[in-house]
Amino acid sequence: MGAVCPLALLAAGTEATIADVRAGRGMRLRLAGMGLCPDARVRVQCADRGSLIVSVGDARYALSRGIAMKILVMEAA
Amino acid sequence: MTGIRIALAGNPNVGKTTLFNALTGSRQHVGNWPGVTVEKKTGRITRNGHTVEVIDLPGTYSLTACSADEVVARDYILDEKPDVVVQVVDATNLERNLYLTTQLAELKTPIVIALNMADMAEAQGDPIDREKLSEFLEIPVVRTVGTRGDGLDALLDAAIREAETSPHHEHTVGYGSEAETMIATLTDALSADRDLAGRYPLRWLAVRLLEGDENVLSRLRKGPASARVEEILSRIDTDEYEALMADKRYEAISAVLPQVRKANPREMSPSDMVDRVVTDRYLGIPIFLALMWGAFELTFTVATPFMTTIDGGVAWLAELVAGSIEPAWLASLLGDGIIGGVGSVLIFLPNIFLLFLILAVLEDSGYLARAAFIMDRPLYALGLPGKSFVPMLVGFGCNVPAIMATRSIEGEKDRLLTILVNPFMSCSARLPVYILFAGVFFPEQAGSVVFFLYVLGIAVAIASAKLFRSTILPGEASPFIMEMPPYRIPTATTALLHMWTRGSMYVRKAGTIILTGVLVVWILASFPFGVEYGGAGSFAGMIGHAIEPLVAPLGFDWKVAVALIFGFIAKEIVVGSLGTLYGTGEETLPSALLADPGLSAATALALMVFVLLYTPCVAALGVIRKETGSWKWTGFSVAYGLVVAWLLAFAVGHAAGLFMGGI
Repeated sequence: MGAVCPLALLAAGTEATIADVRAGRGMRLRLAGMGLCPDARVRVQCADRGSLIVSVGDARYALSRGIAMKILVMEAA
Repeated sequence: MTGIRIALAGNPNVGKTTLFNALTGSRQHVGNWPGVTVEKKTGRITRNGHTVEVIDLPGTYSLTACSADEVVARDYILDEKPDVVVQVVDATNLERNLYLTTQLAELKTPIVIALNMADMAEAQGDPIDREKLSEFLEIPVVRTVGTRGDGLDALLDAAIREAETSPHHEHTVGYGSEAETMIATLTDALSADRDLAGRYPLRWLAVRLLEGDENVLSRLRKGPASARVEEILSRIDTDEYEALMADKRYEAISAVLPQVRKANPREMSPSDMVDRVVTDRYLGIPIFLALMWGAFELTFTVATPFMTTIDGGVAWLAELVAGSIEPAWLASLLGDGIIGGVGSVLIFLPNIFLLFLILAVLEDSGYLARAAFIMDRPLYALGLPGKSFVPMLVGFGCNVPAIMATRSIEGEKDRLLTILVNPFMSCSARLPVYILFAGVFFPEQAGSVVFFLYVLGIAVAIASAKLFRSTILPGEASPFIMEMPPYRIPTATTALLHMWTRGSMYVRKAGTIILTGVLVVWILASFPFGVEYGGAGSFAGMIGHAIEPLVAPLGFDWKVAVALIFGFIAKEIVVGSLGTLYGTGEETLPSALLADPGLSAATALALMVFVLLYTPCVAALGVIRKETGSWKWTGFSVAYGLVVAWLLAFAVGHAAGLFMGGI
């Protein structure tokens, strides 16, 4: 188990598990509907200075740095 | 039962509208990006003596609506209570799709699952055990392939059966003892509100309240149960429950998934590899611009031979009319008015068809969503969410659906901003103006000139957004989050159908609005009785001369002024009016323009810039009024567009005049 860090800091190709989503309730519920909630496994497909494309299961989402900083993840060993 | 209402619901971009079109024979717009459908659409069919009303809803990830289009979907399901909800599920993305299913099941509406894009899941080596899935969920599951029309009858039959039996789903997610105790307490408190209890299942209300759903809370405001419910909620930390409940739902889903399908999600698909390149930090924007340039070069070069043919036909017809029709006024009405006006617009039909073909390919490929991602960083810095770029690109076709498409943008201010800058995105109606003038005055670089105008439109839109953000609409852009659909090779049928639908709308427009517009121009140019056609003494001449001082600094004469006024109705009329005012006589409009000493290349450039930026057409204004709900913003849009158009046309015209001479 690695340390907890914001999703935005991960490099392309990294896999991680979401530990916490530190956003307002509206955003958290929205992200949960998209599968981005604690315990979900994500993989960074593309990373560009904090903006990311991540995969969750078979879905791919583009996230801006603002959101990616609020999603805390635990890097997979 | 004879009349049945079926609502098609589901996550964005799972193929609801494709299925809707296949079921009802409609031709609603489809595309491979989330948020194509932003309002509900209705179609009717009959099957085995049942009249079935099918309602296509905008996509939503959950029943917690975040944007205007999601609100449409949620409110329909909650308040209109369709007899059956058909949840369209993307078979290649089962896990996330089933999250919405868990919420729908709590609503106790009869549900049927359409396991759509099943062919793609099978092709990826990931077939789904439909029967097992149905058994686990206690919901009928039908295999469908919307694009091929597979499984439509089975889907309808299942939906009708569910509507008639309206079974109660007892199979809902369990949230663990602590949460269940709270749910029971809340359910008990809620039962005091008879009215509410009659409309919604109490368990569903309790679950939503525990998750802190503001909308549900507002639904029970001031009711007999609200005081007690608020008291219960104030004692607990709903944040904790909300995380727990999402977790339990996904837990329930992941208990089912391995039993119904074998494969695990692939780590790196071909789509991901393409994304590595096209969303690259350095290459992303150059690739986007290169694609755009290529598209306009293509619209111009491929269309030219077709244009020449139509042009020849129009010229032949004009000559025939001029030579054989008596009396002279009728010949003028037919020749100058109708053939000159409508004909000059119809010449551009090949370009319009090609433009829509290219846009259809762009929409179906999945690249549109990537363009939004690439532009997010620069746009965000200027105060626009990256998501705004999708409606902006849709605006290349027509600003009316583009302004509607802003409904998928979450923040109200962001949405208003995106609406206000959308008219600067050059729609297909403006293309004839560019092609006419670029073709006449810049025959060698026509494609590049057109490309320059489109880029200028984007630049003005973005600069205006920045200006509005720092003045009238202060604030920060909302964070960007958007699903990236997998790339798909656009199918010829979809692309051609799209091209045909939109292209034939252009023809219809030419026969109605544009025809009316040019007829009015012809009447104004012919009267009062006895004046020289299109002369200074005619009504058109009088109007034009009255306006001329305003546009003279831009190098425009009175004929252009008249054309611009009528362009308010629809921008193609700018070309149509010029066709009517110059008359067809012995020469075609391009050669007449070239021969006019009042028009230089620099003036032509200024005119194209002016047409790009000035006031949106009547239809676009109507939709701005509707979507903003405000005459103030609609008026602002008109005034701002005119000022910007004037200033930039002046600047571009004079700058070009320095190099090319004459304005």
